[in-house]
Amino acid sequence: MAFNATGAPASYGVTELAQLPKLGGLFVRGVAGSVGKRPKGAVRLPETAYQVVGVETTGEAAHLAAYQRLLGEPASEVLPAGFLHVLAFPLATAVMVRGDFPLPLLGLVHLRNVARVLRPVRLGETLEVRAWAQDARTHRRGVQVDLVAEVLVGGELAYQGVSTYLAKGFTAPDGGAAAPEAPDAAPAAEAPREEWTAPLPTARWQLGGGTGRAYGAVSGDQNPIHTSSLGAKAFGFPRAIAHGMYTAARALAEVGPARRGDTYEWTVEFFKPVLLPGTVDVAIRYARDAAPTDGPEPVPATLTSENGAAAGQGFVYDGWRSGKNTRHFQGTITPL
Amino acid sequence: MSTTPSPVPSTREAVIIGGNRIPFSRAGKKYVRTSNQDMFTAALEGLVARFGLQGERLGEVAGGAVLKHSKNFNLIRESVLGSSLAPTTPAYDVQQACATGLEAAIAVTNKIKLGQIESAIAGGTDTVSDAPIVVSDRLRAALLDANHAKTTGGKLKALAAIRPKDLAPVSPSTGEPRTHLSMGEHQAITTAKWGITREDQDEVAYNSHQNLARAWESGFFDDLVTPYKGLTRDDNMRPDTSLEKLAKLKPVFGAKLGEQATMTAGNSTPLTDGASAVLFSSRAWAEERDLPILAKFVDAETAAVDFVHGHEGLLMAPAAAVPRLLARNDLRLEDIDFFEIHEAFASTVLTTLAAWEDEEYCRTELGLDGALGKIDRSKLNVNGSSLAAGHPFAATGGRIIATAAKLVAAKAAETGQPARALISVCAAGGLGAVAIVESV
Repeated sequence: MAFNATGAPASYGVTELAQLPKLGGLFVRGVAGSVGKRPKGAVRLPETAYQVVGVETTGEAAHLAAYQRLLGEPASEVLPAGFLHVLAFPLATAVMVRGDFPLPLLGLVHLRNVARVLRPVRLGETLEVRAWAQDARTHRRGVQVDLVAEVLVGGELAYQGVSTYLAKGFTAPDGGAAAPEAPDAAPAAEAPREEWTAPLPTARWQLGGGTGRAYGAVSGDQNPIHTSSLGAKAFGFPRAIAHGMYTAARALAEVGPARRGDTYEWTVEFFKPVLLPGTVDVAIRYARDAAPTDGPEPVPATLTSENGAAAGQGFVYDGWRSGKNTRHFQGTITPL
Repeated sequence: MSTTPSPVPSTREAVIIGGNRIPFSRAGKKYVRTSNQDMFTAALEGLVARFGLQGERLGEVAGGAVLKHSKNFNLIRESVLGSSLAPTTPAYDVQQACATGLEAAIAVTNKIKLGQIESAIAGGTDTVSDAPIVVSDRLRAALLDANHAKTTGGKLKALAAIRPKDLAPVSPSTGEPRTHLSMGEHQAITTAKWGITREDQDEVAYNSHQNLARAWESGFFDDLVTPYKGLTRDDNMRPDTSLEKLAKLKPVFGAKLGEQATMTAGNSTPLTDGASAVLFSSRAWAEERDLPILAKFVDAETAAVDFVHGHEGLLMAPAAAVPRLLARNDLRLEDIDFFEIHEAFASTVLTTLAAWEDEEYCRTELGLDGALGKIDRSKLNVNGSSLAAGHPFAATGGRIIATAAKLVAAKAAETGQPARALISVCAAGGLGAVAIVESV
């Protein structure tokens, strides 16, 4: 595939914004805009990449400290990948609330996330942030799409995050954008999982009822399914559900800077949501200790080409409902 | 993987003169409203009385408590000041979770061996009944902010951040800070990994109670324990328990692991209050005072395991420490007459023994040529251990050292041959401390 100046596909135009948008306003637009976005024909993604240059991080010290304290990251001036995801999330959301983005923001299901830190980003550095949507492709239950977010420092790509979302009931474009998955290679989130057996846990997370609000406060993602029981019920969940990225970011923090290194890949695949309050049993293991059958599911080739976890480096992590075989998430953290 | 140890420099000996503890009591019973300092001072005073140390300036007193309030920053020194030892006796606090007492002994005996001090007391104390309760992190942050604020308005603003739920006190837990699993849950995972059966665990527990009861009946503890607060024996001891009774108890740890749950209140140590102290010295110091010499504190080793990511079990560090200690002292398991393996849980003892018997484990994890070996179970915790006596965390090391010293002294007196005891204590944080005690 050819790319344009932002790293987005070559056919994409670039729209420069003066600053990172505020999530609150975007959610209002996203909620309002969701109403009109119904399945009709094959989805066509907007061929536009958003770009913001000159993003200052100097004022982020208190925000970073709050993030680190909540997730269990050590206090440091280096921005963890989870924080970079949070930083770029409003720009990716801005893409998703565009009138010509065909999928409704409400009801998008986060299937997986693959992020890479290619160069450490420090507090005080001036960043360039980009985001676009690509690769609308078939999923058994609809269409899945990648939201790509990138962070550059001094023109150098420092972070790339690919968030894959499912829109149920939508149809992928015929022979459209790259569809790397053969029909028989359904994503792990859709594959039969009856045979999965929980490994022995290495940790147990007691997640209180306020977990969604606490992560909402540091991530800006105040989606009501995470912050209130009523909001969650409106979307068919019995209780509020934890942000998937909170669970993945906690696993990332648990491995920590000393073991993931300066540059690393961090992946997660989401299964059943974590209801709050709830207890999650977690196994965060050395990839070499995890049995091959427990290993990470293959990640689509567009997202990663040198997944070190496959070579037994780094860590694999699993989360499931304590005492049950209900799987919540699985991921990898691999030094690059 | 393992480096060859360099030759051990020859030093003078550190000898064990005797020990003293108060009877251990289950949490919430006899020692309610009794502080760590109260209990350690009592253990210290009993030792002072037993060996006539009133007014004596000792080289050092070292010890600690695992559950310790920040106001007790000088717990051991304060205890010394409240004892009849000379106030000129220096002291310091040690904390290495359940290995605190043994680590304190390692520290003071090393000083004795190097000639820096002539005499020392090491020990520890712990109370669950009088444990410090702390405030929540949010309340603490608000109080600190209010304290740092310069104006009344600023102070009020900081205090306004307090929410009713922030006022709930936080009790100390035995949860591992990094994994949030309790020690019991951690050991349940290790137990499942090694496939240790419920029956084997209950047998270890049963033997512990039988052995401890027999030792009490035979008067073994008469010169090792001083009654305290109306208690004359360890009140957790159940001489009347049976394997049938133990078999009826419901598992309390590992329930989330499904059918593998085997750990019950009967084969796990209860939360306990108590304190212990052991007197060490150079041989000359003891002889000058005409004090008995029970044994030598020969050597010790500490280890830690990589438990956070499940590579190893939380309480398995002694499995790694013992082979290193034996190798350095040119000893094999067969050279040991008494194995004093702290019973944090019955299964801790069993997983440690299973590890030593496992050829592959010993090769890949311990760097040995083959299995370390199988111990003679009749040499294991012959006078009971923590399952029966209880386990006031920091006090356990002192209890075991004094018991081991007396055992080797008696055995050597009986056989005319040197006798050795191996002490092994596992601890939170994936830590472990082990030591060799030998008759003189």
